Amino acid sequence: MSSAIPTTTEQDALLRAGIDRSLRHPVMFFLTSGAAWLAVSIFLGVIASIKVHSPGFLSGWAFLSYGRVFPAHMNALIYGWGMQAAFAVIIWLMARLSRKECTAAGTILAAGHVWNLGITLGVIGILTGNGTGMHWMEFPVFAWPLLLVSYFIIITWSFIHFRVKGDGHVYISQWYLLAAMIWFPWIFITANVLLHCLQGNPVMAAGINAWYRSALTFLFFTPVALGAAYYLAPKVSGRPVFSYSLAKLGFWSLAVIAPWAGMQKLTGAPIPYFLPYVGAAATALLFIPACAAAVNTLKTMLEDREVLASSPSLRFTVAGIVGLLILAVAAVFLNLPDTTLPMTQFSLSGYGFDILAIYGFFTFVMFGATYFIVPRVTRREWLSRRLISTHFLFSAYGVTFVALVALFGGLQQGLGQEDWQHPWMSAAERAYPYAVATTFSWCLILFSNIFFFLHLALMWLRLGRRSSHPTLLVASHGSDSPHGEEGDIDNAGPGHAHAH
Amino acid sequence: MSLRTFILGLTASFGVAWLAIIVIPFFKMRDLAPIPFPDAQDTTAGVFFPKRAGRVADGARVYAENGCYLCHTQVVRPTYAGTDLYRPDWGGLKADPDRGDTRRETNAFDFIGEKYAQIGVMRLGPDLSNVGRRVEMINAAGGNPTKWLYAHLKNPRDNPKLWQSTCPPHPFLFEKVAIKGSPSPDAIKIPGDDTHELVPNSDAKALVSYLLSMKKDQAVPPTLNFAPGKKD
Repeated sequence: MSSAIPTTTEQDALLRAGIDRSLRHPVMFFLTSGAAWLAVSIFLGVIASIKVHSPGFLSGWAFLSYGRVFPAHMNALIYGWGMQAAFAVIIWLMARLSRKECTAAGTILAAGHVWNLGITLGVIGILTGNGTGMHWMEFPVFAWPLLLVSYFIIITWSFIHFRVKGDGHVYISQWYLLAAMIWFPWIFITANVLLHCLQGNPVMAAGINAWYRSALTFLFFTPVALGAAYYLAPKVSGRPVFSYSLAKLGFWSLAVIAPWAGMQKLTGAPIPYFLPYVGAAATALLFIPACAAAVNTLKTMLEDREVLASSPSLRFTVAGIVGLLILAVAAVFLNLPDTTLPMTQFSLSGYGFDILAIYGFFTFVMFGATYFIVPRVTRREWLSRRLISTHFLFSAYGVTFVALVALFGGLQQGLGQEDWQHPWMSAAERAYPYAVATTFSWCLILFSNIFFFLHLALMWLRLGRRSSHPTLLVASHGSDSPHGEEGDIDNAGPGHAHAH
Repeated sequence: MSLRTFILGLTASFGVAWLAIIVIPFFKMRDLAPIPFPDAQDTTAGVFFPKRAGRVADGARVYAENGCYLCHTQVVRPTYAGTDLYRPDWGGLKADPDRGDTRRETNAFDFIGEKYAQIGVMRLGPDLSNVGRRVEMINAAGGNPTKWLYAHLKNPRDNPKLWQSTCPPHPFLFEKVAIKGSPSPDAIKIPGDDTHELVPNSDAKALVSYLLSMKKDQAVPPTLNFAPGKKD
């Protein structure tokens, strides 16, 4: 075994290059098709959002009616983009951190195609009017076993890498990713089996659906994003993690608290009374793991302002972690049982919270990881600094708008809903200006992500820059660059002599 | 931390919650004990079993497939959780001509015949727990509630009273057919066209039947009554 563990810097670089090359196609496949799904999802989101304030828009076609476009938008976002971005990050990070080359790229790639087939059929199913009516689980019933099987095939080798890595220190990112890999099937199987295969009480079924949405957010997307952030923060900034015990506290508090959250969405519905209260309490308590991870990673990343200003990965990751902090505050603020919970239970806030979690937090960290991983697996540098900063600015402004508008619009709407002395229409009208603002900001995000997708696709075609200079956000390819003079093409990277 | 400790910790932290809030409540709620009315009550007898007439399962499917749950809820929350009950036409009717104030909270028996309770995710439109009652007694008072709902589904803003509604039109639930002989009873007239009419398709019929079945304001046994002092 000892011969496999690299002892010199060159061997180490060779091993890393080998891992990157072994995973090039699966990682690029998941990221690129994920980005395509993200663009599709946002496009559907724009249509859905327009329909909220202008219901006559495109109303002639059944498949474009609001009740079908909106679920298609959410499901494409979650399973098309979110899960696939997570796959890319999981398989790459687990291989890198376990220091094992992937020997099953073809199988993973095939399973990835099956996953995409499932998503495509599912989205078509929703649009053609075969949705199940269970939020975030609207894909027709045939889709979930297909997704589950391809999930296991995609993820198996990451488990194996972890098991065969040999003894030694396990880094916090690995715990987060490993936990996400275990939690997802547990949650997914529980919800789908109980809702589709067993006959239960219909109200409890709705409760399980609410729990599923919360669990998917906090026990899959959150740990994957935090695993990536804990990897990127010290790696890019070159500093050790601020506090390792805080990292462990953050992990275990998430593991203990998050499984209880979710059912506050059914406050007042006829399910056992403790369920919504436990859900509200747990969601508010998520402030603890979120803060622990956010403070820890931010402290690490903010140490070196110069790196922070120039690294695209860090800029996106910091923005994502700020999104997590806002999410944590919103989790407390929206779930006070006597005031804000009844007001926001059925308002736009729920959507704002979901988008903040999936886009404002998770997606931003995934973008950060993408900007880090892609040049390594393709051995090309990003084409354009401008494309990256455009992507960042439009995404950041867009999601800030969507999330804040929905959170505060939801409160306004909730005030109207609770004001029973006025006719319902006065409450319904309150959503109008916020819906217009949401449409506008989704358009910004759509703009930014079309360019992201194109940039990524060009990288996969290996049309990136052949240079030893990473694409940084500040232009300094002159003699003061830490990478030396621009122009020496050493594309193969370290250890190139034996890399083929 | 070894993998073994890790897996044990994960199983314990997730498993306890999983059992306590998912598995046990799911199986406990599968077979709710029937709740009897006390003998003294003369109007109702036996157990509480809110029967629903109409194509409930079929209509619920159309409701789900077309995403009605995205904007409409089906839950009237008790007063500790919201003010739904105070609205004059949500939990029942504030002044039913025969029964007086019939408003009440939603209970676990209200979804009999459905696989999944469409509690809903947002309220861009009003709650539908008693939409059948509301359409019959208020919106289409004195008229035909079925036709009112067909017209509403076709395009809610055709109704001058609802010009501000943001409910999407559903023209695809109707077929344009030539009138042969006298117009069909359920069809919607097309303004300015005397030779054609819009006939609701099977989905529209199921959906309207389902909506009209939503009259969740029956008297409940005392154990389900949140306001036992209220005369019912």
